[in-house]
Amino acid sequence: MSRDRRSSTCACAAAVFTLFIASASSAQTPGPLNAITDVPGIEVGHFPLPSSDPTSPPPVTGTTVVVSRAGAVGGVSQRGGAPGTRETDLLRPENLVEKVNAVVLSGGSAYGLAAADGVMRCLEAQGIGFPVGGGHVVPIVPSAILFDPGRCAAFSVRPDASFGMGACEAAKGGPVQQGNVGAGAGARSGGSKGGLGTASTVLTTGASNGIIVGAIVAVNSSGRTFDAQGNFFAGFLELGNEFPLIGSSATEVVPPSSLLQNTTIAVVATNARLTKAQATKVAQMADDGLARAIKPSHGVGDGDTIFVMATGTDTRDATNLVNTIGSTAADTLSRAVVHAILAAVGDCRVKSYCEQFPQNCAK
Amino acid sequence: MKASDVCAVAFVALSVVASPGWAQVPGPNNAITDVPGIRVGHFTGNPLTGTTVVLAERGGQGVAGGVSQRGGAPGTRETDLLKPENMVQIVNAITLSGGSAYGLAAASGVMQCLEGQGVGFPVGGGNVVPIVPTAILFDPGRCGAPFTYRPNASFGLAACSAARSGPVQEGNVGAGAGAVSGGVKGGLGTASVVLDNGVIVGAIVAVNSVGSTFDGDGNLYAASLELAGEFGNLIPIQGGPPPKMSKPAAVPGGLLRNTTIAVVATNVELTKTQATKIAQMADDGLARAIKPTHTPFDGDTVFAVGTGRISMASLGDPAFAEYVIGSAAADVLSRAVVHAILSADSTPCEKSYCDLFPNACRNRKKGAQK
Repeated sequence: MSRDRRSSTCACAAAVFTLFIASASSAQTPGPLNAITDVPGIEVGHFPLPSSDPTSPPPVTGTTVVVSRAGAVGGVSQRGGAPGTRETDLLRPENLVEKVNAVVLSGGSAYGLAAADGVMRCLEAQGIGFPVGGGHVVPIVPSAILFDPGRCAAFSVRPDASFGMGACEAAKGGPVQQGNVGAGAGARSGGSKGGLGTASTVLTTGASNGIIVGAIVAVNSSGRTFDAQGNFFAGFLELGNEFPLIGSSATEVVPPSSLLQNTTIAVVATNARLTKAQATKVAQMADDGLARAIKPSHGVGDGDTIFVMATGTDTRDATNLVNTIGSTAADTLSRAVVHAILAAVGDCRVKSYCEQFPQNCAK
Repeated sequence: MKASDVCAVAFVALSVVASPGWAQVPGPNNAITDVPGIRVGHFTGNPLTGTTVVLAERGGQGVAGGVSQRGGAPGTRETDLLKPENMVQIVNAITLSGGSAYGLAAASGVMQCLEGQGVGFPVGGGNVVPIVPTAILFDPGRCGAPFTYRPNASFGLAACSAARSGPVQEGNVGAGAGAVSGGVKGGLGTASVVLDNGVIVGAIVAVNSVGSTFDGDGNLYAASLELAGEFGNLIPIQGGPPPKMSKPAAVPGGLLRNTTIAVVATNVELTKTQATKIAQMADDGLARAIKPTHTPFDGDTVFAVGTGRISMASLGDPAFAEYVIGSAAADVLSRAVVHAILSADSTPCEKSYCDLFPNACRNRKKGAQK
């Protein structure tokens, strides 16, 4: 090898090394709410509404809506094997409409797709949607569902348009309720109780300083989120001491789950200004966050679907940040999965994680 | 060249020549319902908008389906589920509806209708989830109609309850009720073909295209695909006045005002992968009948289903059978587009093709297509 060659190899290696260091040391903290609503302009609503009576049983199914009143550039990754979806064709980068007004996550299997009708009505009444002339709008509301009917109630108990309407009317910024709420109300995960979880990440150094990424997820997976000792697969991604102490020595036999009636559905939001193609890439990378938090994921009976909403209030050209945003999205989504499992309470038949591993939830 | 090579070449040549030579006649109703296992129901609103549902079954179970979604402004439900790698292998019904994305609600009524009959994907305990992929077209607010009048779940329920085999009403009905097409009234059309090997292919389409179905002289692009005089003795227009083409109006904030949506069906047993390929080939039938098509403003979506009365294995090389069915599906869909345009009636806002070009239609026997 010539001297010149060697030096260029060294320079290259150094550059790679520098990049690696830069990425690893890029400071990340959860946002003030550690919720998707840390992304400015993102609102979340659940239905059924929380009961004022703390002794009333939690809901058995429900709907969660993520709203961007100003519209957010959308993308999707649909890799689970048994999806139930609306308006995902519209999200392909080559298609005309760029911005989504809301994303609906709902229980109820394919019947629950009706919830999006209520969200459309709610947004239309507020004049929010794609303008089609004459002052009229068509709200753009992609949607995905999960399978929960018949678990703790009759098979015919399922979200309809009124659930979407109720969730949309309840949508607001601020803290987001987790656990047995909204789309996560009836969710189960690998033989334990699943649920609804959220998380956020604020990037504070370098070119990505000021980028915020949030995730919300309804975990209803055939796969598990923790090993036989109760260690979360995604426990290592903890930010700012957000999880209880991990590291139980107890071994719990977790009952097997139904392998063919599941689905984990999520929304990732960011304040970055992305194109549809970039939002699609971020959705694909975010999907790896499910892979790291749930084993197995994207199974035959999981309709796993991840939406991205990019609000663009950080107006910088984000072309060189897509990779950082995508990998942050994956980690944030993994953490939201852990939050969902930690916040869940047992249902009519299955235990929650914290009921199985109380010592891990003592904190 | 060895003798066996000569044979192979001769066989290929024969196959290519033989394909167009296959007898092709429309089925008895010249409708998608000529495919056994297919039933169609419309519900038409007033003002004009509506929903069309295509039910597909084999032995009371759903059948394999596929989709081609190439228009630039789609509104869809359950198309991800149709991807060949995904678990659910059946569809029970396809919903086509007006109402823009609001019209996706019609599918919830179709699901309700089918659940009531116990039809759907079994999920244990005797429960079912009906599999109902859906696409919509843009028609709200046309011709003075209130923008908020649009198909909802009750339209889907009514269309599903009305579904039957036999003749299918065309023109200003169902999903085609409020449709317009490149300057004339659009509508709902259907057609079928029976090949001499017993393969039946049918199509149904709601034509609501930005593009036009006829050239500058008024000749329908797909007129040459006519079978058995079905278009009723259309007269080629030579040097007539160019039609007054109403270009889509420039609407502030964007255009989302069209979309052609269709279902093709065959009596052959298909896998999801084969149904997907046939949907893709059928989509070319739109390209031949409508210019331009699949624009940014059209959400053009074509579904395909196979009702499984004939096994693919009985047709020889499956790839060649797919080729034949896909080619036939494209032609049948083109013909269904022509039927939609010829069957449409003028409204106070849009002239029908035959009212715009009375010379072309002057020898046309009313109802000749059926």
